Amino acid sequence: MKIEVKFYSLFRLNLKSSGIEYDIDGAIILQELIDKLDEDFEGYFSEKLLDSGEIRTGSIILLNGKNVLHLDKLNTKINDGDIVTLFPPSAGG
Amino acid sequence: MGRIHDYSVLRVDLETRDIKREEITGEKVKNYLGGRGLASKILYDELSPEVDPLSSENKLIYATGLLTGTAASTGGRYMVVTKGPLTGTIASSNSGGFFGAELRFSGNDIIIFEGKAEKPVYLSINGDQIELKDASHVWGKEVPETTDKLIEEFGDDRARVSCIGPAGEKEVMFASIMNEKNRAAGRTGVGAVMGSKNLKAVIVKASEKQVKYNKEEAMKVVKKQTKMLKEDGVTGEGLPSLGTKVLDNIINSNGLYPTKNFQFGTFESTEEVAGEALVEKGYLQSNKGCYGCPIRCGRDVKLPNGRSGEGPEYETGWAFGADCGVDDLNAITEANFLCNELGLDTISAGTTIAAAMELYEKGFIDQEELDNGPELNFGSSEAIVYYTKQMGLREGFGDKLAMGSYRLAESYGHPEISMTVKRQELPAYDPRGVQGHGLQYATSNRGGCHVRGYMISPEIIGAPEKLDPQELEGKPEWVKIFQDLTAVIDSVGMCLFTSFALGLDDYREIVNAATGFDYSSEELLQTGERIYNLERQFNIEAGITPDEDRLPKRFTEVPLPDGPQKGEVSRYKELLPKYYKIRGWSEDGYVSDSKKEELGI
Ligand code: SF4
Repeated sequence: MKIEVKFYSLFRLNLKSSGIEYDIDGAIILQELIDKLDEDFEGYFSEKLLDSGEIRTGSIILLNGKNVLHLDKLNTKINDGDIVTLFPPSAGG
Repeated sequence: MGRIHDYSVLRVDLETRDIKREEITGEKVKNYLGGRGLASKILYDELSPEVDPLSSENKLIYATGLLTGTAASTGGRYMVVTKGPLTGTIASSNSGGFFGAELRFSGNDIIIFEGKAEKPVYLSINGDQIELKDASHVWGKEVPETTDKLIEEFGDDRARVSCIGPAGEKEVMFASIMNEKNRAAGRTGVGAVMGSKNLKAVIVKASEKQVKYNKEEAMKVVKKQTKMLKEDGVTGEGLPSLGTKVLDNIINSNGLYPTKNFQFGTFESTEEVAGEALVEKGYLQSNKGCYGCPIRCGRDVKLPNGRSGEGPEYETGWAFGADCGVDDLNAITEANFLCNELGLDTISAGTTIAAAMELYEKGFIDQEELDNGPELNFGSSEAIVYYTKQMGLREGFGDKLAMGSYRLAESYGHPEISMTVKRQELPAYDPRGVQGHGLQYATSNRGGCHVRGYMISPEIIGAPEKLDPQELEGKPEWVKIFQDLTAVIDSVGMCLFTSFALGLDDYREIVNAATGFDYSSEELLQTGERIYNLERQFNIEAGITPDEDRLPKRFTEVPLPDGPQKGEVSRYKELLPKYYKIRGWSEDGYVSDSKKEELGI
């Protein structure tokens, strides 16, 4: 199944990448996706997004536009065709 | 010079040219702090709420905050308070930069302008020398030229200027007051009131750069708070590197990025116009800060055509961008520069064009009316630049746009196409996607506005904690606290952006340390509540009844057609009764006698 991961804000500027696509066998949960990203980006994402194993305050992780904090947090299931959007703790207007 | 909490007030009668000095001390300061609060109190006590905002009876108050000019982080802000022409409500607009601090240093904590000058004038404050001077030679001039010319005449380039452009002179309903060329007291049409008084500018240079306060005590707190601001993800990293435009992708990805006059909740070309694009395309030159600010969210931008200036901020970029369906960052930035030069509020300017585009595309505005100007189609980068200029100068069709979107749409018999609350244009968050923020829009004391209680912070960004944007439970309580706390921050003279990292206790700590007051956190928050209620009472007496606590029908009747919030409507009407109750108001939203008594209004 295909998952699209989008990077924004400082993730995008620091990594000089706007995202990555994965083709994965079987369903996964968010924590597993972050592990996968860590393999590809040298542990960058768990360092930025997580704080002692939980989602860091202010990090924004969206699954198809819905914040995973109101879904199943790190256990949120990701399905075929889903878009995961990642922002570091950011800002206001 | 007195202590910091003894306010020195300058009363300037523009008609008689009489300038008087007064003092405000004691309980009044303790009860209203300064800035927005104290100026609102003055306006409420002195002005009959029914006056025509653009008549000579209206008053225009410049007010520095309680801590403006001290070492408090971001403590350089000032407020302009008056009865606003766009909304008919109390209007107060906040600006940063360096003007506010300089005004405070000069020992003029508040200036009250009354009457109307016979000919254009400006107020010059050079140390102890204070006089009204002839402004005929800068009348009609844009903001940068006016600023440069007045500084040249003043003979000291450290002087600070706050002025209006042609838009204020021509009483465009949403004209701004600009300081240091690029910083705006933007919203609610304060610039039109200044123009109606024939007052072009205030220029100030203090003889020494200091205010009297408990510096030693305050510095300990400032040190701690600077560290908190530096270490916070938002104020220490997000805002400094991308400014407010980091929000484009956040709000769009969440599905509440108003597009084409709030007809949609996502914009397909966001990538083209977002904050990240400004950096990636190399337009961003450097970041800038206001007086005493460790956050430095301002941006200096240079376009490929060689034009440079400050901006665009998130709201501005959106108003001329997604809301008008425009994906050309060059045109958006150009429209922003024009607003700064002509002295226009960017949010109302952009969104009024967006409303005109919807009216045009639906056939309510005829092409002949456009006076050979470009067609008002969504997506037209030519139109946003052309009509911004026309609007600021009140030329051609711009004369109609200068009334703001509500009066414009109403004149065509379609007020429902105007995305306004109390006739002021809504900013860049679709209330169908954030329930608490929608309630805040509906109840804001200065009409459609996001900075009177920024519920996006908890509902989307997750500060101080993350709330579900579609949940109703608890939202009225949050809105009340945010509105009251914001009134405190605005009156203290600090920047609202500090509230991503600082909380009520931190504001209490710095206020007490600098002034020697002994507020508890509850008392300080109650001061905010007092200010909020006083503003509300002014509005009610001005004829803006609770019946106007409402959003355009689109938000309750038409579900969002696209994006992650597809199918949602605003349910603010369910929240209103609870909100009134928590506020201690009557069931129909009037400030109750018991509340007035409790707060001493
Ligand atoms: S955060 Fe931005 S707007 Fe606020 S004081 Fe600092 S530079 Fe000015």
